Amino acid sequence: MYIIKNAFISISRNKGRNILIGIIIMVIAASCAITLAIRSSADKIVTSYEKKYPIEVTIGMNRANLTQSFKDNNSSQEDMIEAFNELEPLTIEEIEKYGDSSYIAKYHYTYSVSLNGKDIKEATDSLVKETTTTKTETETKTETYETPAPSRDGNMPPFDRENSGSTSTKKSTTQRKTTTTQVENIRNERAAKGVFTVIGYNSYEAMSDFINGNYTITDGEVSDDFDANNCVISEELATLNELKVGDIITLVSPDDEKITYDLNITGIYQENTDSASDMRNMFSNSANTIITNVTTVKDIVSKDEDANPTVTPTYILKNKDDVGAFEVEVTSKGLSNYYMLNNNLEVVENATKSVLSVKNFATTFLIITLIIGAVVLLVINMINIRERKYEIGVLRTIGMKKSLVGTQFTLELLIVCLTFLVLGAFIGGFTSVQVSNKLLNNEISNAKEDIENISNNFGGKMRDFNRNEIGVQELETIDSIDAAVDMKVLAQLLGIGIGLTLVGSAASMIAISRFSPLDILKERS
Amino acid sequence: MKKEIVLKIDHVSYRYKDAPKDVYVFKNMSYTFETGKVYVIKGKSGSGKTTLLSLISGLEKGYEGKIYFRDRDLSRIKLDKYRNSDIGIVFQSYNLLVHLTASENILLSMNINGMKEKNKKERVIELLESVGLTKDHANRRVLKLSGGEQQRVAIARSLSYNPGIILADEPTGNLDRETENDILKIFKDLAHKDNKCVIIVTHSDNVAKQADEVIELTSQKKKD
Repeated sequence: MYIIKNAFISISRNKGRNILIGIIIMVIAASCAITLAIRSSADKIVTSYEKKYPIEVTIGMNRANLTQSFKDNNSSQEDMIEAFNELEPLTIEEIEKYGDSSYIAKYHYTYSVSLNGKDIKEATDSLVKETTTTKTETETKTETYETPAPSRDGNMPPFDRENSGSTSTKKSTTQRKTTTTQVENIRNERAAKGVFTVIGYNSYEAMSDFINGNYTITDGEVSDDFDANNCVISEELATLNELKVGDIITLVSPDDEKITYDLNITGIYQENTDSASDMRNMFSNSANTIITNVTTVKDIVSKDEDANPTVTPTYILKNKDDVGAFEVEVTSKGLSNYYMLNNNLEVVENATKSVLSVKNFATTFLIITLIIGAVVLLVINMINIRERKYEIGVLRTIGMKKSLVGTQFTLELLIVCLTFLVLGAFIGGFTSVQVSNKLLNNEISNAKEDIENISNNFGGKMRDFNRNEIGVQELETIDSIDAAVDMKVLAQLLGIGIGLTLVGSAASMIAISRFSPLDILKERS
Repeated sequence: MKKEIVLKIDHVSYRYKDAPKDVYVFKNMSYTFETGKVYVIKGKSGSGKTTLLSLISGLEKGYEGKIYFRDRDLSRIKLDKYRNSDIGIVFQSYNLLVHLTASENILLSMNINGMKEKNKKERVIELLESVGLTKDHANRRVLKLSGGEQQRVAIARSLSYNPGIILADEPTGNLDRETENDILKIFKDLAHKDNKCVIIVTHSDNVAKQADEVIELTSQKKKD
């Protein structure tokens, strides 16, 4: 206890020396606070981005493997098509099996089928115009030969002098050879047979086109009843068929016209993608896409066994480092090597690259600051110890243990360090708030804009859907941060302060252990 | 007062580490010190008197022979503890901590000793008064005190934990004759009234005259 009291007395009686050490520590602390705060803000921005745009894994065709397989077997195009038809499509059960993984935070899928319309026209810029022309022709294939009468001058025509003046008839028969060609239609059985693509979603979060802004509702809304026979259709389809919200459209199976499905239109959407720049087509890519829910598509598939539905899963990973592990797991669960996993890891990493480079720069700056700080502190403390050599000698002479002398000196440095560390943290915090909050504010305003846009994309009435599912809750947390130096940064600064103290004290501990009190006092005398 | 042997030097020889093997500061020295007496170790410069005091105080090691404190071999005891409880040391240059007041210097010594006494501050004042200082001196930084006053503080500090032996190395070397006599009186009182063993190293004849026993050291720097 007296060590602490003695340390405080020593600090208060040697203000000049301690203020000098303190200023150095304060500068180090302020620099560290700024860099730590920038690092912390960068981490938050990256985390926020990764929450907002999590790592998504989808399953697609592995065309490279497929082609290689055809190449290895010297397959003809006919063989290739047949082999492709025999390839087992993904089923909902498989999607669920792969989704039951510790690496997966959640998953969703779309279920789509192709249908024709009844009394509705598809949006297309090519029509087959049929013109029926009825033509009646009577053809008498009779060859009549007539002998002409002699002319006044008595000359006969030169061609038939023998039958001149008489008439004869001749009938002829022509033999035709007919070849019959049998045409076998070898086609991809998975290819769309109907003119409309009906896509079923199982949740809002699965509707990435609306979340990303590719589609925007212009009238009505996307229904939140994912079991009802509701749908949204494109503006082009609505215009072409004079359809509006509340109307019912009837779709029919391309294989059996008796199988029909009625869907209630709850909204009309517009496509905002690059298809507008494709000037070869009159309509957008999504013009014939009808958006409904998975339940409805399942209902359609249950009625029509030839429907050939397509399941497209999207898995949201818990951690971006699990991409490889999840791929291994899915392969071990039996995914054919003709399918492959695709992910958006590169896109996400590219998007956060600039922020991470700021973080790396801050880290480098922090390390340099710490090294310089530690060296400066060590040198100053060594000079300090030389100045206090006499004090060490006296304390040792009157019986104070080396360890206690060292503890007192370390304690003094720690008290000075922590005091000026707090001051440095305040200064650094004040400075870094400007920088970090600017970084954060950009992110927050982007996030808010995103939320508004997403809500508008769904028809502007989706105020109550689970916002956390698209990372909105995390962004709101960031919104509440108004100071860059938070508890984490302070804890890091405290660690740095203690680290610097120990480095600085190392000099005093070594010196104290090496000094002989008698030599010191002799030197003094 | 009952006198007892507190310190025994038994065939002690000492040579500096960097000195040739056979050159000693002193060789085969034996002496016994009792309580209630003032001893003066006298000799010319280089005779080894300060070295002897350093060996007795445990500040110097590497000697041959044995030194016993109350029958305990000095080489086998913890010297830090020995210095902060069994002996008190007074130096010519006082060796006080200059950033502390007179009373703080004494209190620190008490704390290092681990004294549990409740009224330490009162005890400090008593000690200062016993060496002729007042309360006013107690709260002054030592640099604000005169040489004689500083030496009195140093003596008070050496007495703070009531040691059996007081070792003083040229305690009056920096002081005038009058102050020297005052300081010597304190030492004599400590020996004769408080039954302490006072060992003073000096080259002053005036100091030597007032001792109960004088140990004359002659230069031993010759080959044995």
